[in-house]
Amino acid sequence: MQAPHKEHLYKLLVIGDLGVGKTSIIKRYVHQNFSSHYRATIGVDFALKVLHWDPETVVRLQLWDIAGQERFGNMTRVYYREAMGAFIVFDVTRPATFEAVAKWKSDLDSKLSLPNGKPVSVVLLANKCDQGKDVLINNGLKMDQFCKEHGFVGWFETSAKENINIDEASRCLVKHILANECDLMESIEPDVVKPHLTSSKVVSCSGCAKS
Amino acid sequence: MAESLPTEFDVVIIGTGLPESILAAACSRTGQRVLHIDSRSYYGGNWASFSFSGLLSWVKEYQQDSDIEEESTVSRQGLIPETEEAIALRKKDETIQHIEVFCYASQDQDTEDNVEEIGALQRNPSSVASTTITELDSACLPEERQSYFTDYEMPANHTQKSDKEISLGITDVEESLEKEKDCGDNTCIHTILGGHKDEDKHTVEDNTGQAKKNRITFSHIVKEGRRFNIDLVSKLLYSQGLLIDLLIKSNVSRYAEFKNVTRILAFREGKVEQVPCSRADVFNSKELTMVEKRMLMKFLTFCLDYEQHPDEYQGFRQCSFSEYLKTKKLTPNLQHFILHSIAMTESSCTIIDGLKATKKFLQCLGRFGNTPFLFPVYGQGEIPQCFCRMCAVFGGIYCLRHKIQCFVVDKESGRCKAIIDHFGQRINAKYFIVEDSYLSEETCSNVHYKQISRAVLITDQSVLKADSDQQISILLVPPAEPGACAVRVTELCSSTMTCMKDTYLVHLTCSSSKTAREDLESVVNKLFTPYAETETNKEEPTKPRLLWALYFNMRDSSGISRSSYNGLPSNVYVCSGPDGGLGNEHAVKQAETLFQEIFPSEEFCPPPPNPEDIIFDGDDKQPEVPGTNNIIMATIDSSEESKNLESPEKHLPH
Repeated sequence: MQAPHKEHLYKLLVIGDLGVGKTSIIKRYVHQNFSSHYRATIGVDFALKVLHWDPETVVRLQLWDIAGQERFGNMTRVYYREAMGAFIVFDVTRPATFEAVAKWKSDLDSKLSLPNGKPVSVVLLANKCDQGKDVLINNGLKMDQFCKEHGFVGWFETSAKENINIDEASRCLVKHILANECDLMESIEPDVVKPHLTSSKVVSCSGCAKS
Repeated sequence: MAESLPTEFDVVIIGTGLPESILAAACSRTGQRVLHIDSRSYYGGNWASFSFSGLLSWVKEYQQDSDIEEESTVSRQGLIPETEEAIALRKKDETIQHIEVFCYASQDQDTEDNVEEIGALQRNPSSVASTTITELDSACLPEERQSYFTDYEMPANHTQKSDKEISLGITDVEESLEKEKDCGDNTCIHTILGGHKDEDKHTVEDNTGQAKKNRITFSHIVKEGRRFNIDLVSKLLYSQGLLIDLLIKSNVSRYAEFKNVTRILAFREGKVEQVPCSRADVFNSKELTMVEKRMLMKFLTFCLDYEQHPDEYQGFRQCSFSEYLKTKKLTPNLQHFILHSIAMTESSCTIIDGLKATKKFLQCLGRFGNTPFLFPVYGQGEIPQCFCRMCAVFGGIYCLRHKIQCFVVDKESGRCKAIIDHFGQRINAKYFIVEDSYLSEETCSNVHYKQISRAVLITDQSVLKADSDQQISILLVPPAEPGACAVRVTELCSSTMTCMKDTYLVHLTCSSSKTAREDLESVVNKLFTPYAETETNKEEPTKPRLLWALYFNMRDSSGISRSSYNGLPSNVYVCSGPDGGLGNEHAVKQAETLFQEIFPSEEFCPPPPNPEDIIFDGDDKQPEVPGTNNIIMATIDSSEESKNLESPEKHLPH
């Protein structure tokens, strides 16, 4: 068996108002399940999804949910740092969550840009499309126009419940990130210290020394 | 986001500085319901770092008069029954004083009308974006600032009388935009060339325009403002220090990256030179003679286990460390290096403290690099936020821009029951942790604070040129006269992500005896030269040039004992603001001590499960065990699997 030639690791953010289905989308995409009564994710920063992009390329995606801060909109810089792309999610049955989309996008662009100064790729997700009340989405042209105006690379009607379009949306985002990445190569810092990797002390914590 | 806060918590933490943030992470990690509040619009309190425009907004906020009308006391009565009483909290922060700003970089005429930070412009401001909105009016400093430039010797307190109305434009973006336009016309107030030097200016620019291609102007700095992450406190991490150990142990380190401090510098006889500190450095040093090399190695080897050789120093117990060094057959050169650059102590420090400091320095060498220190990429201000993220991931709720009116104390038990916020909402909890600056004057009437003098400089060159322009250096400048304080200087290059390309960010720190400018200006003048002056000189300047400078005094509330505060309930715990020391040991110790007081049986910041260990391959479905919540106690191993996000080789094709 031949090993893949390239491996990419990307941090992706999943943002949007409370209750639009961010965590459901991540769980559907990564864990292949859906629960209508999920509990807020505790203790986990991100979920990891491995994509076999093509025979030579493996893409590992870290999907970062916004933790307990989201309700009051006070994300730490740690959350944004080094992200390569984002999904902004709204709930088609609640127009107010769509109105917030532009806010989230401009907030994102003000706090995060690629090392070359360009904005990161963002895909807009119109979630809960299975509920059939999609007032906004019927007008696809209008959505295309909206995406163009606000700098989204694309939009998808999704349903975490019915597993509609989530894989497609992700492929769209990854495609744009891969296309962007060639001009980012030179910006990687060579001499950064990561204490948890370089230090032999990592293994000395009580929980993991035994394994 | 109109939702109101929940009203029941286990722990309420007020202030997002380092000790409070470590405590928030530690409490949340043990399953406590944590509410973490800050009255400011940014994380970190006096530990924060800012973009350039963010820093200008911060300056402006402190220079505003205190006449901001607080429509507080929103019917506190109804919320506090007879059996309880209120302890008011301070309405306005008073930890920062004597702010002075100087701009030396020239003002480019042709770019004047577009002086704004790239990316700072917001189409749709909202509560989520308001931290950046405050950056909008970055370009306008109060006009009164002009006085700094026309009258250099003016005493600091004159500058506080700015009565111009300044809106921070949190909600009204149009107003801010207009202001920005106004500033386009008034920008000359920022330049040191303003006023009497006006005529020279143009000719000077003509002469030097071609010679200096990379001339950095004030508008460059403003435009590239987002490249700056300017810390209010200047600290480094000892590579064997408490903070780095805590970061590793708690795995909060996965949110942070560091760079090695690359050089230890010394300032002697008006010259900056590099101090050899590792064995390799010592032997490669061109400044030291063979004899000196042997003397230095011998002494440093002794310091590493000085406790084993009490006979070497017992007889000198009454001496200061500097007197002791004189007896050790070390040349003046070496004595200076050891005293100021390695032990980094004051001349008067005791022999034991000096040996201890030297030993600590030597022990930290080589863990990560050639010097004992690390600096966080993006600045020290990242570190509190890393702990906040950890707290949030474990369910902690964050709320910035949230003012607290008072504690509510039960008269009978004397315990604090709740806080009341600026909306008049009552929030109940069992434990309350509060940063010192939130406590009222009445509570602090017996407290005597120290002060820290700080300067932040943007310069165009390093204080000591080297092959690589990407150096991170620390320098201790000994006091000019005995009895005064040494000044600690750290110089950061652009690869630390704290300043724009072709500039250096220089931090100066000392304990205050006067205002920050009075304490630090002489050192600044020894090391740097103002931008405008050298432009008239034809010859290449030897000193780096100052583009911009900020001075301020910060209150140092470390070392205040709990008993100095009046009438605080026993379940209210106080954290101090930043101390003046180089490391972060004080904050970590304080957080751990308070945590153990509150939760004596709980472990302090154990490692969480590593999310990288939870892998669901896209190709084969893995069913999830129903009924489990999402804490998957995977074994954390240090194998390749836990590779981190930014390891460079991951981005490269193999």
